[in-house]
Amino acid sequence: MLLPIEYGVRNLARRPVRTALTLFALATVVLLVLIVVGFIQGLERSLADSGDPKVVLVYSVNSETNIENSSIAARTPALLTASLHGTVKRFGITHVSPELYLGTRVTSEAGDGGLGLVRGVTTTAPLVRRTVRLMDGNWPAAGEVIVGRLVAAKLGYKEPSLAIGKSIEFEGRRWLISGRFVADGAAYESEIWCRLEDFQTATRRQDLSLVAMLLAPNSSPAELELFCKQRVDLELGAMRETDYYASLQQHYRPVRLLAWLVVGLVSAAGVFAGLNMMYGAVAGRVRELATLRTIGYRRRAILFSLIQEGVLLAAASSLLSGAIALALFNGLAVRFTMGAFTLRIDSVTILIGCGVGLLLGVVGAVPPALKALRTEIAVALKAI
Amino acid sequence: MRFIISSIAVVLAFTSAGCQSSTNQSSVVDQQTSNTSFVMATEPAGAVPVGDARGASNDGEEVIVLGVIGGSTKPFVEGMAAFTIVDPKVPYCADEEGCPTPWDYCCEVNAVKQNIATVKFVDETGKPIAKEARELLPVKELSTVVVKGTAERDEQGNLTIAASHIFVRAGGN
Repeated sequence: MLLPIEYGVRNLARRPVRTALTLFALATVVLLVLIVVGFIQGLERSLADSGDPKVVLVYSVNSETNIENSSIAARTPALLTASLHGTVKRFGITHVSPELYLGTRVTSEAGDGGLGLVRGVTTTAPLVRRTVRLMDGNWPAAGEVIVGRLVAAKLGYKEPSLAIGKSIEFEGRRWLISGRFVADGAAYESEIWCRLEDFQTATRRQDLSLVAMLLAPNSSPAELELFCKQRVDLELGAMRETDYYASLQQHYRPVRLLAWLVVGLVSAAGVFAGLNMMYGAVAGRVRELATLRTIGYRRRAILFSLIQEGVLLAAASSLLSGAIALALFNGLAVRFTMGAFTLRIDSVTILIGCGVGLLLGVVGAVPPALKALRTEIAVALKAI
Repeated sequence: MRFIISSIAVVLAFTSAGCQSSTNQSSVVDQQTSNTSFVMATEPAGAVPVGDARGASNDGEEVIVLGVIGGSTKPFVEGMAAFTIVDPKVPYCADEEGCPTPWDYCCEVNAVKQNIATVKFVDETGKPIAKEARELLPVKELSTVVVKGTAERDEQGNLTIAASHIFVRAGGN
C-alpha cells in the first residue's frame, strides 16, 4: 500500500524554512544549467542560421577559409558573372555581392573603443544576404553606416551610443549611423555595414575579401568550384556559405565541449547539494519513518513517498528557474571573438534544465531515504 | 515491462535493417565503380606528365596525361566528377612527416602552380558528370592516374582535360 501523495505535500509545508532553502539550492543549480545550455544553443544557432544553402562564397584560396585574411582582385565579380550562368538574375540585376570584410577598432562619440567587424557592401548585398532587413533608418549613403542589432554587445557599448544620427569612428574616418538592421539571428547582426567604395577608400585598398553569389534553383555550387579549380591563375576557392559556418562551428567545438563540461559539473554539484539537504531532511524524520513502518507501510512505499517529495520540490525549482531564465536571460547578448549572439532559452534548453532538475530530485532523495529505512525499527523508534 | 521489451525489439529491428541497407548501398557503389565505362583495364601508352602537357598541348587536342590526384586540401569537386592532378615530379610530404593532408603539396605551392591540371569527366554531349569522382571511379587523394581526353586551354595557360577514360595505377604510384 502506498502513502497518499498529500502526505508528501504536507511534509514539505511542515518545515517551511528547510523546504525554502532546498528549493533555493535546487533552483540555483537548474538556473545555472539553463544559462549554460542557453549559451551553447545560442552559439550553435547563431552559426547555423548564418548560412544560406543557395549562397556560395568565393574567396582567396590562400586564406585557408579565413575570410578576414582573404584578398581577391576587384575584377573577380565581373569575371565570375561573365563566365558562369548559374546565378540568380532578376530585373537585369545579377545577385552577386562583392564585399570587403575586416575587423577593426571602432570608437563611439563618447570615446568607447572596441574591436568591431565592418563589411563594405554594394546595394546587391541584401539580394544575396536574404535574411538582412533594415528595421530603422535608411540604406547608407556616402560616409554613412548601418549597424546590426548586436553591434552594441559586440563592441561593449550601451545601445544609445549606436542610435541613428550618432557617429562612430574607424579606419581614421567618422561615419554617421543611418540605419539599423536585423538578420534573423545570423552572424551579420554583429556587423557594421558601409558602402564598399567608401570602405575601400578608407582602408586604401582596391581588392575585395570575397564575392557572395546567390545560385539559381537549378544550378549547383560544383560549377563554381570547378571554375575556381580550372582558373589556377586566379587562386580562388569556392564554398557554400553553410559549409563556411559549419567549419566555424568545428572551430568552436572546444568551447562547446567546455560548456557541456560545466553543465556536468554544475549538475554534479547540484546532486551533492541536494543530497546534503535531503540527508538533513530525512535524518530528522527517522522516528517518523519507523512509525510508518510500525503501522504497516512497507519500505518501498515510504521510499516512493520520499522520492515524491524530492521530485515535487525539484519540479517547483525547475519551474521557478525556467520562469526566471525566460524573463531575465533569454535573448541576452553575449560577446565572442567573431561577433555576438544571444542566449537562447528555447524548448531544448528548458527540457535539459528541467530534466536535470527532476533528476536531482530523484537522485538526491534515494540515498538518504535508503539509509534511514535500513535502520531497525526498534532502533529507529528510539532515535533522537 | 512488456511495452519496454517490445520497444527495444522494434528499435533493434530498425537498427539491423539500417545496417543491412547500408551494406547493400556500399556494394552497389563498388559494383558501379568497377563496372564504370570510364575505367581502362590497361595503361595507355604515351602518357605525358602534367607539367609537360601544360607546355605542349593545344586547345582541342587529344591528350593522355599522367598525374597524382592532389594540389589542394580538397582536390575533388563535390557533386561533380572532377579533380585536380599534379605532375608526379613534384614531391609531397612523406608519411613520416606526419602531415594530415600531404595531397595539398603545402611545401611546394609555387611548383604546383606550373604543374597542375583539372580533370573533368564528361558525357557524350560534353557536359560534366554530376557525380563525385570518388563515387564514380576507384580513386582517392594521391592516386596516380593516367587520363585520356581532350585538352582545354585558356589564355592564362591553365589546362583542363575533358576526360573520357582513366587508368588508375595500382598502389597509388
